[in-house]
Amino acid sequence: MLVLAELPVFTLGLWGLATLLTLLLLGRMVAFEQYREFPLFCTYLTVNLLQTAIGVLLYQGYGFTSSFSYQIAWTTQAFVVAARALAAAEVCYLVLGKYKGVWALATRILGFCGLLVLGLALYFGRNGYTVGITALEIALEACIATWVAGLFLFARYYAVRVLPVTGLLGLGIGLLSCFKILNDLVLERFARRYGDAWNHASLGAFAGILLIWIWALRKSSVETVPEPRLRPSMVYASLIPQVNRQLAELNEHLTQLWKLESPK
Amino acid sequence: MMSAGFFIIAVISALGLAGLLLWALRGASHRRTNEPGLAAFENAPHHLRNMAQIHQAMDRADLQYAAQKGGQRLADRLRRERRQVALLYLAAIRRDFEQSLRVARIVAVLSPEVSGSHEYERLRLSVVFRMRFYAIKLRLHMGTVAQPQILTLGQMVTSLALQMEETMARLGERAALAAELALQSER
Repeated sequence: MLVLAELPVFTLGLWGLATLLTLLLLGRMVAFEQYREFPLFCTYLTVNLLQTAIGVLLYQGYGFTSSFSYQIAWTTQAFVVAARALAAAEVCYLVLGKYKGVWALATRILGFCGLLVLGLALYFGRNGYTVGITALEIALEACIATWVAGLFLFARYYAVRVLPVTGLLGLGIGLLSCFKILNDLVLERFARRYGDAWNHASLGAFAGILLIWIWALRKSSVETVPEPRLRPSMVYASLIPQVNRQLAELNEHLTQLWKLESPK
Repeated sequence: MMSAGFFIIAVISALGLAGLLLWALRGASHRRTNEPGLAAFENAPHHLRNMAQIHQAMDRADLQYAAQKGGQRLADRLRRERRQVALLYLAAIRRDFEQSLRVARIVAVLSPEVSGSHEYERLRLSVVFRMRFYAIKLRLHMGTVAQPQILTLGQMVTSLALQMEETMARLGERAALAAELALQSER
């Protein structure tokens, strides 16, 4: 008898739905060769499916309560999070990679912010978690969400065009990470009280985000942003210091203006 | 068990990040093209040509003359209208300033090398500029700022735009950048 049959019907239904949606999305991406545009995102979906398959085999062989199953399940989760981090990096590159200067700046800043968030989450969460890997997962998810949010901020600031498909893939990855953080926090704090609810929320959120991704990739051909023609670096080097100097003078003038009183 | 403090901060941070994601993506995806387009290069600062009239409208002697000849009511009405002119002028300065900033961003986006310190400095200065700008606007509403001084601010913003134009022309890049932007606007 299949051990999965022991799961509550609702949990089983959600799990089946999420797996089917993942298969559908991956199948579509392969059929329409969209994996060429998003190879790392495709890898993430594949790793996710592999995790599901390993989970089924594990639980079938060792049951839900075995410590071996527990350890392997959390180890596969580390691979899934790492694959999602790579998919997030791919989205970042697709949005900003064509703009070499801004991309170099963004990788430095986002890399630093990501590591900072990772370090802070690990440091402040170090004593709180009975399961160390949960703290690591929260930290990694926070790092991914920070990258994606930072990417969109960069795109907004520099008025870089974000294609709907790339934007929605990034949004899904970022929201999933935020949701995982919330879910892990609730799991850690209220695991005993809301054991099943944690599973349902997690599967439901993943299914919802899969629908966003399916919607994003609904067209068979992926729109691309044409290569920009970069200007010589001399233009930047000549113009920008001058703009900054003028801005500083403007600010100085504003300060003086602020101090002046109107004549009565 | 984690502390309540960490739990609350982490939950707020996660919700904040989700909100930031939605807000930033909304702003970025609404720009179908590199927004400034040709307009940023082709529109000379508009308020420059109205400088003489605005200067006269803000002239203190003019107001005193109106008060002497037409009485206090006329002077008060004139003062209110002058404030409106000053506010409109301030809005025009802001637009020209934003336009110059947009051009600077385009140059950064199309540059193969970008200096982190320059970019940070410009971001910092533009944030400070905006904050002070709003503070002065507020004071102008309250009538506690010397209006003629705003003229100098306008001249400075105009000078920034003109200097950028000159530098781009000197480097022979004005037309190339404008063409690139026109191309992007059509996509």
